[in-house]
Amino acid sequence: MIKINNLSKRYGPKEAVKGISFEVKKGEIVGFLGPNGAGKSTTMNILTGYLSATGGSAKIAGFDVLDDAIEARRHVGYLPEQPPLYFDMTVDEYLNFVYELKAAKQPRKAHLDRICELVGISHVRHRIIKNLSKGYKQRVGFAQALIGDPDVLILDEPTEGLDPNQRVEIRNLITGLGRERTVILSTHIIPEVVDVCERVVVINEGVIVADDTVENLVHDLDGESRFIAEIEGESDKIIPILAAIEGVVDVTSDGKAYTLTAEEGADIRKAVFYAAAQNDLPLLSFAPVDISLEAVFARLTKKGGER
Amino acid sequence: MKAIFKREFRSYFTNGIGCVYCAVFVFVMNFLYYLNSITQYQSNFLYIFNIMLIAMIFLIPIMTMRIWSEEKKQKTDQLLLTAPVNTMDIVLGKFFAAMCVFLVSLAFTLVYPLMSALYGTPEVAITLGNYIAIILAAGAYIAISQFMSSLTESQIISALLSIVTLSLFFFLNLIFESTDIDVISRIASFLSIITRYVNFYKGLFTFSDVVYFVSLTVLFLFFTSRVIEKRRWS
Repeated sequence: MIKINNLSKRYGPKEAVKGISFEVKKGEIVGFLGPNGAGKSTTMNILTGYLSATGGSAKIAGFDVLDDAIEARRHVGYLPEQPPLYFDMTVDEYLNFVYELKAAKQPRKAHLDRICELVGISHVRHRIIKNLSKGYKQRVGFAQALIGDPDVLILDEPTEGLDPNQRVEIRNLITGLGRERTVILSTHIIPEVVDVCERVVVINEGVIVADDTVENLVHDLDGESRFIAEIEGESDKIIPILAAIEGVVDVTSDGKAYTLTAEEGADIRKAVFYAAAQNDLPLLSFAPVDISLEAVFARLTKKGGER
Repeated sequence: MKAIFKREFRSYFTNGIGCVYCAVFVFVMNFLYYLNSITQYQSNFLYIFNIMLIAMIFLIPIMTMRIWSEEKKQKTDQLLLTAPVNTMDIVLGKFFAAMCVFLVSLAFTLVYPLMSALYGTPEVAITLGNYIAIILAAGAYIAISQFMSSLTESQIISALLSIVTLSLFFFLNLIFESTDIDVISRIASFLSIITRYVNFYKGLFTFSDVVYFVSLTVLFLFFTSRVIEKRRWS
């Protein structure tokens, strides 16, 4: 559905996107992840035709975003970082305007009613957009993207600035929409990706550093496992004891808790227990650390952190 | 184009700029008409078109200053430029909306020929010629102002740029009148709005003058669409 090939974008001397390539299949929900300024918005702006690429190509539903711009744009619903709203219009006027602008074919009333129902703005349709809360403005922006039933939805940080409840609602909405549509969703909120997306593309400094499913990414990072142990006693004494345990690669301490890294395949849990007991050190708690997508993200996007 | 036109035209009256523009325009015209015609028992009102032409140098840029600047600032241009429409359609929609606001304000001046018809003998052809000319000139003014608005995010700068450019076009021949170089003064006079307008004012309806205003309009509409397109490449 979306095909990006060696895409690059240069702002003057600065290269924001450096030849990235990836594909998104129909019905996929892809999380586009990266720190601020990594090139997420630039890539999305190119996909939607708001900006032109300096090199490479992008295709949506088989139409080149440059050569068949109008046709490609017909297949895209876009929610930019800041929802493009006319503050002096009512929600209804605005949605009708977008409907006409996109020259949507669906029966107008039923189509708009359904979208309003879906994003939960039916009860504010007569209100002036200026007076809506941020969450509602975001939803109106969302509704705008859905008009005309586009096959591809491009959402730039759709939950930014919303409260936790609204975030959950929007996430559920995206999951629901993703059943029949292709969605690219940019964010830097990692739980969101884990919840919503099947696949993650991580971009850093204009380069794609990872492109895989969430499970693979987390699993893939390393075979090592980590544990956090809380042990009473002096850390000067404890660290050498822990480090001496067979299979332990690394021990770090923040004064109270110790993070142990075990080498691949080794189960150090029993050994830690006995070592603590033999040295008369009370082991207060002991738990494995899940390697989260956060850790993956941090590692991938650290300067020079390439794979 | 129709969607843009409708939204744009409405917004002139919902955000007040269109109302203020019409009010000021009508007030200035009526005031001058009162001074020059009513108090003087004059049925002639054609001088009003000259005043209009100069007043529009200031009024039209104020009316159109937000036409693109505001879109850029509110990021609504992201909606327009990612919609399946041509850039030129957007430019035209905005142009015709501004044109219609101007026509609304112009409609108020129809009372002058009416008055002169009641109390004197109006020169129908000349009146008609002047109305056509003022509409053509307004088109050029709006196209130039829209172009200036597409260049900047600041409404003030956009209005100032338009006023300066329109004044230049207007007074071009006066500025270069004194020069000895024949070519320059001829070019200046060729390009000047005044020289073109004078013919209409006299009741001379020449094809080349119509072409002048229409091409000025088309040229600047084209420039605007190029500037907007070019932003994608920035």
